Amino acid sequence: MLLSSEKKTADMRGAYGDALVELGKSDPRVVCVGGDTTDSLKTKKFGDKFPDRMFNVGIAEANLVSIAAGLSIAGKVAFASTYAAFIPGRAVDQIRNTICYPALNVKLVVSHGGLTVGPDGASHQQIEDLSTMRAIPNMRVIIPADAVAVKHLIKTIADTPGPFYMRLARPTTELIYSESAPAEQFTIGKGNVLTDGSDATIIACGLMVGKALEAAALLKREHGLSVRVVDMFTIKPIDTELVAKCAKETGAIVTAEEHNIIGGLGSAVSETAGETCPVPIKRVGVRDTFGESARDEEVDALLEQYGLTATEIAKSVIETRSRVR
Amino acid sequence: MGFNMRYLELKRKIREVRMWAIQGIAEAGSGHPGASFSAAEIMGTLYFRRMRHDPKNHSWDERDYFINSKAHSAPGFYSTLAVAGYFPPEEIKTLRKLGSRLQGHPVRYSERQKHHSVPGIEYSGGSEGIGLSVGVGIALASRLDGKKNRVYVLIGDGESNEGQIWEASMAAAKFKLDNLVAVLDRNRVQQDGFTEDIMPLDPTKNKWEAFNWQVFEVDGHRVEQLMDALNKASQVKDKPVMIVANTVKGNGVRHMANNPQWHGKAPTKKQTPVLMEELESEFFIAPSIIAGEKENYEQKIKKAEREGVELIHLDVMDGRFVPNNTFLADTIKKLRPSTSLPFDAHLMIEKPIDHIDEYIDARCDIITVHAEACMEDEFAVIQERCLAAGISPGIAINPETDVPKWLYPHLPDLDVVIVMSVNPGFAGQKFIPETLPKMVAVSKELREHGFNGYIEADGGIDATTLQSVYDAGARIFVAGNAVYGNADIHSAMIQLRHKAAVTLEKKLLEHATRLGIRYDWMKVRKHILIPYASELGIEEELNAIK
Repeated sequence: MLLSSEKKTADMRGAYGDALVELGKSDPRVVCVGGDTTDSLKTKKFGDKFPDRMFNVGIAEANLVSIAAGLSIAGKVAFASTYAAFIPGRAVDQIRNTICYPALNVKLVVSHGGLTVGPDGASHQQIEDLSTMRAIPNMRVIIPADAVAVKHLIKTIADTPGPFYMRLARPTTELIYSESAPAEQFTIGKGNVLTDGSDATIIACGLMVGKALEAAALLKREHGLSVRVVDMFTIKPIDTELVAKCAKETGAIVTAEEHNIIGGLGSAVSETAGETCPVPIKRVGVRDTFGESARDEEVDALLEQYGLTATEIAKSVIETRSRVR
Repeated sequence: MGFNMRYLELKRKIREVRMWAIQGIAEAGSGHPGASFSAAEIMGTLYFRRMRHDPKNHSWDERDYFINSKAHSAPGFYSTLAVAGYFPPEEIKTLRKLGSRLQGHPVRYSERQKHHSVPGIEYSGGSEGIGLSVGVGIALASRLDGKKNRVYVLIGDGESNEGQIWEASMAAAKFKLDNLVAVLDRNRVQQDGFTEDIMPLDPTKNKWEAFNWQVFEVDGHRVEQLMDALNKASQVKDKPVMIVANTVKGNGVRHMANNPQWHGKAPTKKQTPVLMEELESEFFIAPSIIAGEKENYEQKIKKAEREGVELIHLDVMDGRFVPNNTFLADTIKKLRPSTSLPFDAHLMIEKPIDHIDEYIDARCDIITVHAEACMEDEFAVIQERCLAAGISPGIAINPETDVPKWLYPHLPDLDVVIVMSVNPGFAGQKFIPETLPKMVAVSKELREHGFNGYIEADGGIDATTLQSVYDAGARIFVAGNAVYGNADIHSAMIQLRHKAAVTLEKKLLEHATRLGIRYDWMKVRKHILIPYASELGIEEELNAIK
């Protein structure tokens, strides 16, 4: 069974910390570098279990990722973790030249991506990372939809040589996937069709996958539309085959991401569809503007203000379908 | 494994590195000669002497790592790797060209990057200030794996503007990485000008000490000082080591030295042969401490050291091979701790074969025995022992002695031939002019039979005779009375160096003239030539150059 049948929440960071500990047990090469956020990232769990394999380098992200590069040069599988605002935010050059150019075995796993970082405000709301990371050769970009996906994908990226960027969200979220979902469902470069449909496709990633499912239900209920929902957790390499197939079979695509509409999932899907099977597309995301603070209990209102809701996705599906010739 | 090269072999290889680097840069039409040359001794000492590495097995698990953070020194780095045997040196001429393995800035070697890199390169550089962090990562991993290896990181003073250098510095100290050695190429020049104008780094040593590193400061062009510091570094516990290597950007080519204009500029291809001759003309002044007033040898060594001499010449006389007595191995052994300057021991003793181990034990850097004092089989043993001990072997011939034919097979591993220009035995003798044509002939004969080492002129060398022996092919000048015979050693040394400089400038100008680039050469060299203009008779010509 792929999808979770019960309402259950879990946090991605906790899943990451647990997965890292499991990895540490089975693979002595696994090490982790943190930047004064190890408690928050839950990498502290790994550090408690393997104190000599955890390196906290303080608030110095350029140094952090470069040390991870050095560890990988000497044969380690190096996880580097802090908030998305700072990795990649403060270390794009090091990620490009030191890690991606030589395709080092470094896994950048960061949290607090997108608008949902809470009250910290725009400085901490990383909405450009998918774009910057996607544009660097050799980099692969992953954005899991929930804690179950995190658990599987952390293992996969550890076992796959080369650099990865994985972005986690801060909030505890409802599980999309069943805890018994098979590992094969989380293959790099393969999107998951969560619900099938023939009138349009919503391709989403991260937290927006849940909203996409809500939107599909809403469209079915209120408009009788049959909408396909895809969890495109690999932004790069994008699942070209699936995008083309959805374009061909449903004729309209809406993308949904907690990211600027420039350069992220929406761009990747548009590029791919444009080159394979051009259809009307609408990108739901942050419309090239900075975010703002919101208390945790105001997060839904924040997302609503920036158009990252099921309603907005549903509206976009209708609008996109209207452009189908 | 490693190379453990002998002193003079090391010097020769570093000279080769500079020569390849300048050819590569000239061919490419761009590149960074300045940084390649300031770091030549640092990289050479590491690759040819200090590091455990294997060009035939570049991914050897126990290897020492070298991270070249100041990656714009690529031409020098590539040349060092090539001379060490990682790839054929000729390939350096493809530097920076389309399709070359030698990219403008070195790329980490891997199966994926094999068309853009060469084995031996661990790190992709180019963006400044990152390599030290990478070294920290490698050192952490090596320690975790219980390895005995060491991580060496070369950083620049320009790139020390980058905050990340200091982030890495704090991290290395936090993790007590005593398997990490950073070397700062302190050449004081960056792209826009002098470092202290662009972004002051001094007091450099204090900064690193304050960051809780063990700091050693050396002359970064003196391999013996670098070795000394590297040896000390391996004894340090619980702290990373920084070696502040004071260097001269562009060192080796006088008009490039300490000149920001040559940070990233290529010489013309036409000028390359003249530059090669300049590099080949590197010389050593070796004061003989038996000359002059009878005083404490240690004091004489200290005085010479302050004058920046390259070698200390030790005339060992046993009262039998020569009538005089000076000192023997026991004295050398006592003097050894007083300086890191290489000891150039010239054994004027009978049966050197019977005593060779004493001189090896006294840690001489060069041991020269007399052709007249040994048979071929004895010399073979002497040479073998020296080579095994990492000591440069040499042979000396008296004015009336020819190069013995039995020496030919031993020439490829011979580092020195002393062509005596006086009969040995006393200090203060007069130079025998007939030895000059002999030196030219001997030099030719030796090269024809595979000799790659240095010709050393010994006997009556002073400011008057230096020019002729330099021209005749000598590169090591033993100066006895010319140094210690003067009350003012400082002026004496200045005079000797001035003479050497005039000789060199004359030689190079003549070479440039033969190549039809006299004007261009004088133009590029103008600021160097000015002090010698009258001696070279080129005042008017030089003034006419804008």
